[in-house]
Amino acid sequence: MSEHGGDRVDRRGFLECMGWAGTGALYTLSGGIAASVSLETALAAPLKAAKVKPFSFVQISDTHIGFKKPANPDPLGTLRETIAKIKALPVQPDFVLHTGDITHLATPEQFDIAQSALSEIKVPIYFVPGEHDILDGTNPQPFLDRFGKGSKGEGWYSFDANGVHFIGLINVVHLGDMGQGTLGADQIKWLRDDVAHLSASTPIVVMSHFPLWSLRPDWGWGTVDGAVALAALKRFGSVTVLNGHIHQVQQKIEGHIIFHSARSTAYPQPAPGVGAGPGPLLVPPEQLRSMIGLRSVQVRQNAGPLALIDTTLAG
Amino acid sequence: MTQSINLVARVIGVVAILSIAMAGLSAKPKPKAAKPVAVATLAGNAVRGKALYQSCTGCHSIDENEVGPKHRGVVGRHSAIIPGYAYSPALKQSGIVWTPAMIDRWLTNPQKLVPGAKMFFSVSNPQSRADIIAYLAEQK
Repeated sequence: MSEHGGDRVDRRGFLECMGWAGTGALYTLSGGIAASVSLETALAAPLKAAKVKPFSFVQISDTHIGFKKPANPDPLGTLRETIAKIKALPVQPDFVLHTGDITHLATPEQFDIAQSALSEIKVPIYFVPGEHDILDGTNPQPFLDRFGKGSKGEGWYSFDANGVHFIGLINVVHLGDMGQGTLGADQIKWLRDDVAHLSASTPIVVMSHFPLWSLRPDWGWGTVDGAVALAALKRFGSVTVLNGHIHQVQQKIEGHIIFHSARSTAYPQPAPGVGAGPGPLLVPPEQLRSMIGLRSVQVRQNAGPLALIDTTLAG
Repeated sequence: MTQSINLVARVIGVVAILSIAMAGLSAKPKPKAAKPVAVATLAGNAVRGKALYQSCTGCHSIDENEVGPKHRGVVGRHSAIIPGYAYSPALKQSGIVWTPAMIDRWLTNPQKLVPGAKMFFSVSNPQSRADIIAYLAEQK
């Protein structure tokens, strides 16, 4: 967690890091793919009262179409490999969630290429933007025109699927302290209203680009008002929060809320706190596919937590 | 080039010291004299800087405008002058010249130096900043 020994490592910072490092280590020690399931089975609240039909969905993230540097000169190619993986799943997902940074520079050409490639996925795709999808860092409209139709405000929305309530939050249009995400009062008010009518047994899945928890604030890996938003979901027995931006699998559990950062389909980034800062991690080409990939999520009938399976393109 | 960066930093430091000394000797010092600016005094290693610059490549490259403007020739350049890049109003109005010392301040906390700038990415380690600046100085 230190960079040449120069980073601040005080008790608070250490404990914050241990928060995710500890859960991440448990995730790993439990044995890879199955660990994700067993850990959640141990810690997540059952969905006993919810009327949930079993189904599955897929999360992909950070496709970065238009990126062309050595960390991955061909993100379109690795997106196509990802789509092939989705099509090869033994049970086809009901839909796909894309947690942002669809493109690298939000140009019309990059959006065209991304839309064309993603159209090969023959199930609905629900998007939230990353900061790379916001034109000039301030204008979400080109993204919304293509991927956010029917959404509210700066792109937030919700939908229901087989008894699970899905919420897409936007935290990349206004950046906060140290480049962290911001949701804003309007969106948080909408969130409170959106879930007000739901019973506490309704499983909730939230997706955003930046993590809603403080994963590494000095790298911008957090959302300044994320805790305020999550307070609106505290009464629910099962809340799963999915994000991108980090380009690696990270996990944290807070009560009934479980946070999961996903891999990119384009390139990995350093572990939190390693190196000068976040950015594309250059790895030998033969290792790239073991560090990028997709996540499939299975929702089981009326009992047990969501089962997450993270798969790399090498796996 | 590492040496020249160090030299530039030292020259700036000497000029700053001389300025302070002269201000002290002057019978009528200007009331709004610029505060002495802390300058980079670490010797940068361009080879290490090239490796560290990898972290910057999520948004920058040497020869193309991306999320941020291209970096070739940045050291010594006036800010916000690259054609085809949409700078923030804040940076356009800053009047900054990218001396090594100014880049050091920028990388330490860009939002503190220019509130409202697009960039938030910072580098906390002083030696890493010096190394990155040394690498950028070679990209002429």
